[in-house]
Amino acid sequence: MNIRKLTRENRVISFSSGIKNYFLSVMVIGLTALLCSPLSNSQGYHLVSFILLFMVSILATFMGIGPVFLASALSALVWNYFFIPPNLTFHIDKAEDILMFGMFFIVALLNGIFTTRVRRQEQLAVERERRTNALFQLSGRLSGASGMDEVLTVAIAEIKSHFSLEPFFILQDGNKVLHTAGRLRKDRKLSPLEYQVAEWSFTHLKPAGAHTTTLPETEQTFFPLAGSQVNPGVLAVKLEKPLHGDQKVLWETFLAQITSALEREFLGELAQKARFLDESDRLYKTLFSSISHELRIPVATIMGASDTLLNSAHPSEIQHVLMNEVFTASLRLNRLIENLLNMSRLESGLLSVRLDWHDINDLVNKVTEDLRDELRPYTLVVSVQENMPLVRIDFGLMEQVLYNLLYNTTQYAPVASEIHLDIRHEGGRLIMQVTDSGPGLPEEDLPKVFSKFYRAEGSLTGGLGLGLSIVRGFVEAHNGQVTAENITGEGARFSLLIPSENPDIENLPFEKS
Amino acid sequence: MSGTDTILIIDDELQIRRLLEITLTANGYKIIHAATGKSGLVDAATFNPSLIILDLGLPDKDGHEILKKLREWYFKPVIILSVRNSEEDIIRALDNGANDYLTKPFRSGELLARIRAAIRSSEIKPDEPLLTFGTLSIDMLNHVARRDNEILKLTATEFSLLALLAQNHGRVLTHQYILKEVWGHGYIEQTQYLRVFIAQIRKKIEDNPSKPTLLITESGIGYRFGE
Repeated sequence: MNIRKLTRENRVISFSSGIKNYFLSVMVIGLTALLCSPLSNSQGYHLVSFILLFMVSILATFMGIGPVFLASALSALVWNYFFIPPNLTFHIDKAEDILMFGMFFIVALLNGIFTTRVRRQEQLAVERERRTNALFQLSGRLSGASGMDEVLTVAIAEIKSHFSLEPFFILQDGNKVLHTAGRLRKDRKLSPLEYQVAEWSFTHLKPAGAHTTTLPETEQTFFPLAGSQVNPGVLAVKLEKPLHGDQKVLWETFLAQITSALEREFLGELAQKARFLDESDRLYKTLFSSISHELRIPVATIMGASDTLLNSAHPSEIQHVLMNEVFTASLRLNRLIENLLNMSRLESGLLSVRLDWHDINDLVNKVTEDLRDELRPYTLVVSVQENMPLVRIDFGLMEQVLYNLLYNTTQYAPVASEIHLDIRHEGGRLIMQVTDSGPGLPEEDLPKVFSKFYRAEGSLTGGLGLGLSIVRGFVEAHNGQVTAENITGEGARFSLLIPSENPDIENLPFEKS
Repeated sequence: MSGTDTILIIDDELQIRRLLEITLTANGYKIIHAATGKSGLVDAATFNPSLIILDLGLPDKDGHEILKKLREWYFKPVIILSVRNSEEDIIRALDNGANDYLTKPFRSGELLARIRAAIRSSEIKPDEPLLTFGTLSIDMLNHVARRDNEILKLTATEFSLLALLAQNHGRVLTHQYILKEVWGHGYIEQTQYLRVFIAQIRKKIEDNPSKPTLLITESGIGYRFGE
């Protein structure tokens, strides 16, 4: 940042040979001549010529060629007119003075030219340094940016700061069709004419629009972003005048750098999309094969059991067993439907979390009541911290979370063992832990128990393997975390951490004891 | 249980109507059923049933509309039985005057319990001066509640909250409704007040406050006072 500021100030000094400098050189020469007039009487007029030459040299060190030329011409004329006898005429009597005048003029001019040239070199060096710095900074920031949007933000900021232009990127959609709106600025839409120009530039890989020979009737100029493998799109800017010289070179280098960064991100996005499609294809297949299995089993049970009941007479205890099977199968179907619905809520990305204050005991009661039958073979030990504050959660979602966690535990913990449910509020977080006394989870599976369709090796029970992934989805929707671990001496432990501040229950209204 | 109670079922699914008819008849109720909202309204007017079980997804009219129409003149209990399980639907139905809400699939035992509670609560006169629930009695005239004949120390707000729930016992009251009735319009978003007061009341009236049997939470919806 500092470097750029410095070089910019240099530039301001070196190029500002405006009308002010011409005026300044006239003033300096005039003033010098005026101050020298008493000197010429005592020391002779040749001394004045040296002083004037000296002043021209000084001027040449910080002025452009124009003002220096003016200063040399003016000082030659002033010297001639005011100092070379006869004074107040341009006439020169002595031949040596004519020679002196000519030499004076040439020396002043050469002095000016050489100094200017040296300064020009220096300016070029500064300018080169500035460009190098600009490019260095651009490439540094571009490679530091990750993701298409960040690259674009960097590119826009850099173009703005080095060219004072407001660029506008129009990218293609992956099928070589340009979008009609900006990637970052969705509100900025191209007019049909602009779109046509952008498209021409994109397909022909040549600039088009204003200041070009192709379709110059638009306000904007469109530059193609031509990558080595794909062309990410075009860049539109509104130029006051066409770029040329060094600016043009710098601009093209900028575009090339930006293009390669965009191309990198673009290819990344394409690859990710392909991976995503692959993944969803795989999920789709897994889902369908396991759903059809999961649906068929309970339906087969219901059909078989009810058919038996309908078609022949059985002792009442057999009837009871069969009806029990029908009931269990229907519960299983219901659970499956519930989980599929929850999964689709998560996958749709439309899950809305409606936080409200709840008594955690209500949640525990609701879930343990729903799981009454499943929990019957176990001893559920619930411990809720003394003076547990209200917690801010989405009750419906957390109900599914706790249901799935406890249900899952009942599927793996050995019958008649203890299941612990510990709940406390610590450091602004609700902490819920379900610990069983079972064999624990296979150590190598710990990282993937929350993945979709994960089923424990050799697990006897049915299920889609959706329960824990729903747990994770809903907990993350609360900005919380869920972890699985094995506790030595006990079994598997699932821990939930949900951010929840203490409720504001001071100053309850309308209360008088 | 009164064996002569008539129940009107308004549901377009034949299987559900048949199931309900068998279950309810077996439990001593007389059943009338209607497959559309329109015929349901006619049947309600003709038979004046003791209770109506209403489905929300009817083919001719939205169940919420039927409920509103019914509530213009029908003041006995209405229980909603629907596959719609969103909190919005449930709260809307309760605010429109439904006494209770059960989602399909349901357990018949649960439905029977809700029906019994609803019919019983409809038999209590609204200005009954003394309400009794097991060992708990609430004296509306003297603003006193007793448990095992011991006077409970209740604050004014706690008493009005308890009284409101008890007078509507068997019926689900939404959070917004309770907050509006007890605290006033400006407080209908302040559910945390309600939770705190409910917890305090539970400590005084429940045997095990963390496993309440009288003051029941209807998750995300509101509270019900029952036994």
